[in-house]
Amino acid sequence: MLRLENITVGFGGLTALANVTLEVGARELVGLVGPNGAGKTTLFNVISGLARPKAGTASFNSVNLLRKPVQARARIGIARTFQIPQPLHELTVRQNLIVAQTFGAGHRNARRIDEILDFIGLKRKAEENAADGLALSEHKALEVGKALATEPKLILLDEVLAGLETAGKRQFMQTLKRMHQEAGLAIIIIEHDIETILALCQRAVVLDFGKVIADQTPEEIFRNPAVMRSYTGATPGA
Amino acid sequence: MQQRTIITIGFVVLFYGAVPAAFGSTDYVISSIVAALTIAGTAVAWALLGNLGGMVSFGHAAFFGVGAYVSALLTMNAGWPVFAAIIAGGAGASIASVAIMPALRLRGPYFALAVLAYAGIFRILATEMEGITRGAAGLLSIPRLPTILGFDLGTNIGSYYVILTIVLAAMAAYAWIRRSEIGFALLAMHETEDATRILGVPSTRLKAMMLVLSAFITGIVGAFNAHHISFLDPDYAFSGVWTVLPIVAAIFGGFRTVSGPFIGALAIYLLDQFVFKSLLPTGHQIILGAALGTMILLSPDGLVPLLGRGLGKKRHAAT
Ligand SMILES: Nc1ncnc2c1ncn2[C@@H]1O[C@H](COP(=O)(O)OP(=O)(O)OP(=O)(O)O)[C@@H](O)[C@H]1O
Ligand SMILES: [Mg+2]
Repeated sequence: MLRLENITVGFGGLTALANVTLEVGARELVGLVGPNGAGKTTLFNVISGLARPKAGTASFNSVNLLRKPVQARARIGIARTFQIPQPLHELTVRQNLIVAQTFGAGHRNARRIDEILDFIGLKRKAEENAADGLALSEHKALEVGKALATEPKLILLDEVLAGLETAGKRQFMQTLKRMHQEAGLAIIIIEHDIETILALCQRAVVLDFGKVIADQTPEEIFRNPAVMRSYTGATPGA
Repeated sequence: MQQRTIITIGFVVLFYGAVPAAFGSTDYVISSIVAALTIAGTAVAWALLGNLGGMVSFGHAAFFGVGAYVSALLTMNAGWPVFAAIIAGGAGASIASVAIMPALRLRGPYFALAVLAYAGIFRILATEMEGITRGAAGLLSIPRLPTILGFDLGTNIGSYYVILTIVLAAMAAYAWIRRSEIGFALLAMHETEDATRILGVPSTRLKAMMLVLSAFITGIVGAFNAHHISFLDPDYAFSGVWTVLPIVAAIFGGFRTVSGPFIGALAIYLLDQFVFKSLLPTGHQIILGAALGTMILLSPDGLVPLLGRGLGKKRHAAT
């Protein structure tokens, strides 16, 4: 479904991604791991259109992605969350979802909005101002809710579990699992926590200094010495 | 919602009933109110682009003047009925706005400067295209507003009803858009443009729509004014006044609210005419500037939010 070939991204002298090749099929749940600054978020930016690669090709269901502007990628079924939550300003939680549905999915369905609010656990906060009425875990939930409201085929989750306490994290993981099963989505999830990746994914891709250094099952990955070396070199708390 | 309905009804009764009843026979007062409403209409259009589109325009005089010339020339040279020509004037201003669309990709001060330069071009065109516009000599005896069902709209009181209806219709359209999905998306774009586009919002296209609509409203108001005063020349039609006064009015009243530009225009213009001018016959604009400065210090969001706070209303997101 998603096919990236030899994607290279540079920022000035820095090479954030070097010849990244990656394929993700429909309904796959892929973990994307790697130390801080490895280029994980940059890869999401390339797929969603916020970063322009210097070289390489990207396609989604055989459509050339790189020719499509950001908003058009949402409409063909690619959704993402932001590592630092970005609730739409000046709007309520419900209005955030309405914008996502109207423009991303291309239709209005009030019942579906209520279902999503229920699903992400924000029904009681629906009429709150999204930018200043929510706690961190609720912000992360809203990120997922906005992405779901666009009715995507592929959803890119950027550290949606980071910063949550254990109980919240467990609950959120259940939500993600259900989302994957019920909606039949393909998911790429960036996550530093090894346990989480082991629990969620059948496949994990490791980025290090902008290069894919492994693409295996999570069990194999965390037995791989090269991966562990790059991980232990990571900043603590990552 | 209840409160809003009551305020709206009170508003309509006041402006369609009480104001004409009180001042209908005082030509000087009513013609000043017509002038204030002309500023108000342009201020509403400017604020629509500023608040929803996130664009600060220093070029609304261009839309005002284009609307005025298109409508005047259609009635004088092509024999169009006045109201049809006024709508064509709005359409003409919308078409003129297409020329500035590439600038929508510019941000903040760059957009403002581009529009300023753009606006200057139309005054030059109107002056130079003498064959059509009669150049600096201007257009005299532009047809006045017609008589409908025995009611002469060309009188001051008739014109009052016409411009009032134009301004209120513009405000209704503005309020409706603001509460629609398009309005939500536009508001969200101010602070979180990437996050909004990621959800599929075509940001530039929505901004362009607001520009076209803002130009349309301004063109209609300019066209109305041309038929009301029955005279045009390039310096008047494209005067910086049509840019500056609406901005002052909108900011004074509160450009983030739908009623702010309207209230601000009435307050600013009428205070200027009836108070500041008698206090300081030359240079009374200085008091206007001071009044605006005081308002910004007192309430950066303008008069209407200030009154709202006074009434103890809670501010809700995008409602
Ligand atoms: N817009 C940008 N301009 C300049 N450099 C950038 C930009 N975005 C990312 N970088 C750099 O590119 C590299 C990869 O960053 P990226 O955010 O993709 O890492 P990451 O794997 O998501 O890290 P983290 O785990 O900290 O989120 C980093 O060195 C970062 O500083
Ligand atoms: Mg990151």
